[in-house]
Amino acid sequence: MTNSMSNIEFVNTLVNKHVKPLVTDIIDQFQVGYVVDQNEIHLLLSALKNEGWIQMSYLSAVDWPEENKFEVVYVIFNWDKPVYIQLRTKIDRTNPSMDSIIQIYPGAKYYERECHEFFGIAFPGNPDYEKQLILEQWDDIPPLRKDFDPQAYSDRKFPQRTYTEDYSVTNNEPSKAEKRKLRKQRAESLKGGKKQ
Amino acid sequence: MKSTKFSPATKLSKAEVDRKWWEIGDFFRRNSLWMLMYCTGCCAIELPPAMTSAYDMERLGMGPMATPRQADILLVSGYLSLKTLRRLIYTYEQMSEPRYVVALGSCPINGGIYHDSHAVINQLDQYIPVDVYVAGCMPNTESVMNGFVDLMGQIKNKKANGWKHYHEHFAWYKANQITSLGEVDVHDEFHE
Amino acid sequence: MKQMKLFLGPQHPGMHGNASVHLFVDGDIIKRSYLLPGMLHRGFEKAMERKLWVNNISLIPRVCVPEPDINEMAYAQGVEKLLKLEVPERAHWIRMIMLELARISAHLMSYGGLGGPTGHYTLMYHAHADRNSILDIFEKISGARVYHQYIVIGGVRQDLPKGIEKDINAFLDDLESRYIEYRDLGIENPSVVARIKDTIMLPEEVVWELGVTGIGMRSAVGKPYDLRKVMPYARYDQVEFEVPTSTYSDARSRVDIKLKELVQSISIIRQCLKKMPEGPVRVKPSRGQSMRWTVPKGYVYSPVESSRGEFGYYMVSDGGTNPYRIGVRGASYPQGLLGIEKYMPGTRIDDCALWVDTMGICSPEIDR
Repeated sequence: MTNSMSNIEFVNTLVNKHVKPLVTDIIDQFQVGYVVDQNEIHLLLSALKNEGWIQMSYLSAVDWPEENKFEVVYVIFNWDKPVYIQLRTKIDRTNPSMDSIIQIYPGAKYYERECHEFFGIAFPGNPDYEKQLILEQWDDIPPLRKDFDPQAYSDRKFPQRTYTEDYSVTNNEPSKAEKRKLRKQRAESLKGGKKQ
Repeated sequence: MKSTKFSPATKLSKAEVDRKWWEIGDFFRRNSLWMLMYCTGCCAIELPPAMTSAYDMERLGMGPMATPRQADILLVSGYLSLKTLRRLIYTYEQMSEPRYVVALGSCPINGGIYHDSHAVINQLDQYIPVDVYVAGCMPNTESVMNGFVDLMGQIKNKKANGWKHYHEHFAWYKANQITSLGEVDVHDEFHE
Repeated sequence: MKQMKLFLGPQHPGMHGNASVHLFVDGDIIKRSYLLPGMLHRGFEKAMERKLWVNNISLIPRVCVPEPDINEMAYAQGVEKLLKLEVPERAHWIRMIMLELARISAHLMSYGGLGGPTGHYTLMYHAHADRNSILDIFEKISGARVYHQYIVIGGVRQDLPKGIEKDINAFLDDLESRYIEYRDLGIENPSVVARIKDTIMLPEEVVWELGVTGIGMRSAVGKPYDLRKVMPYARYDQVEFEVPTSTYSDARSRVDIKLKELVQSISIIRQCLKKMPEGPVRVKPSRGQSMRWTVPKGYVYSPVESSRGEFGYYMVSDGGTNPYRIGVRGASYPQGLLGIEKYMPGTRIDDCALWVDTMGICSPEIDR
């Protein structure tokens, strides 16, 4: 196992030679994550690709509406020195745009297109990132943002099946659903506020 | 003496003669149904054991068919997303009559496990008429064969009239399709 | 030069799943092509955020339909990395048995899918009859044929039933004795070989450009780049197996590697059944009720080697009872989307359905 610990140290020295990461997060012996600034991503990715991290595994985004930021995530891998490197940066949420990386990793073209469709992030440098890929004739906000409610959309557009209540209670006990509702109200009033 | 077997006592009207031809046709139809090969969702994984030698479908007379023009049954296996529903309606209207629809799984009944999803429809009955539902998530292959035998029984009792219902209530079906889908025949099919 | 527009549409007897390829052809040669995904889109990543950590186990097997155990394994492994939880020893071996049985069933289904485009339906009949025996074994172990919900956070749901070793060994002996027959029907058959030899090539630069993993990478690069050897998860470092490779990658060598991997999986299962220790199979991940427990903050990527390549889940937790974001990396995403756009033009129309089958493209994991 000393072999892989030295792999992580190798990655640490390599990354710190080029940029100064804001957060370093070692998860286990095969995975490490860095938070860097938005302008340093291209430099770092080209440097890592020259050292052997030639496979792009995943590209996506995470939505943080309280901080008003999106967080773009890149995951790359090297088969000879097996360490997964996660690079994360935060970009602005009101006019999100991130330069495309298809000059470095050509396989990221469709990941960026899907990211635009589901979050609304623009990737200048990618030729047709505005065309719809998975959704067709979509008429609402990008679906993976936190302020989109899929249940409301589904109730509005797709009619649901209604079931008739054609049973009758013949013993004179209160129904179990009523008892459950009363129990829940009592529990919430004891806790003093909104449930976690 | 006049034989009663070969010369009928009374002459039959045209409607009754048509009805007798339909009964003969139904006998041949229900014993050799041809199924369109279209796997639309997750329940399609239980179809290859039914089509091949594990639970052989051909002993009931059923077989697979490649084009919609010559198929009898449209098998909707599982949930339907919006993109698939547009192409499914297009395929259903190309089939020649009489045509039957069998829906597998609990997703065409009331949405199933994807009832709160923005891309899956909740009730198939509003868009095309359905004759037999097979419940389960996912249904066993024996339940699927049971569903086919039910369909054959319904054809015998003249209850499988979904295609006639589609003709009579065409405006209602079309209004539902346009509310949920927007437009059914996509104009720029090739998305250039 | 007028180009005709065709679509090898979703309703096609040779197509592998519900995917549609749009072609612009000139005579018989394809000039431009792209895949149209989205026919199987259900909104999984949004649905997983609305459910508790424990509830997701019943939603997740439906992401990849032919091989549902890899989804449960990747999810459980990721949450255990965030919780820093140790799973009991016997649970690791049972997880390996389930994963290898799922790998055999997925390889059989994809090998039988070679029969559709070439017209040899006998191959499909044999493959699906054997796959049905595997589904019966799954029903005895976990209760359901296709979606098991068996690998959970903290181990496995319940122990293996008594007498299951006899059933598994009988099935493996039967499959191994008919291996020569499978080869004769498929890749030693001259009329199938004429379709798949020296066609649908995958050179090495293309592999690194697109990001292809799995059998496509191992058949072009020639090195044993398999996640079970390079980054071993659940006790794969204590069984002995080989990883078949080759350097010349046409369709026939990829199918050949698939059959050799099937034999290696059979030997892994036999070693697991001998080496398994006794003991508990499940540890509770929290004290108290499981509907309210939380997972500490973190970002983790948890990959698993599936039958088509590297299949990973990217999980983000903010310390609450629901996941904050889960992203799914489908194993056939690179070769399905960018591969069809850049490298299918130049081949003929009858190679298109074989392209989709031998590259290992599975459409539910591209659309999620």
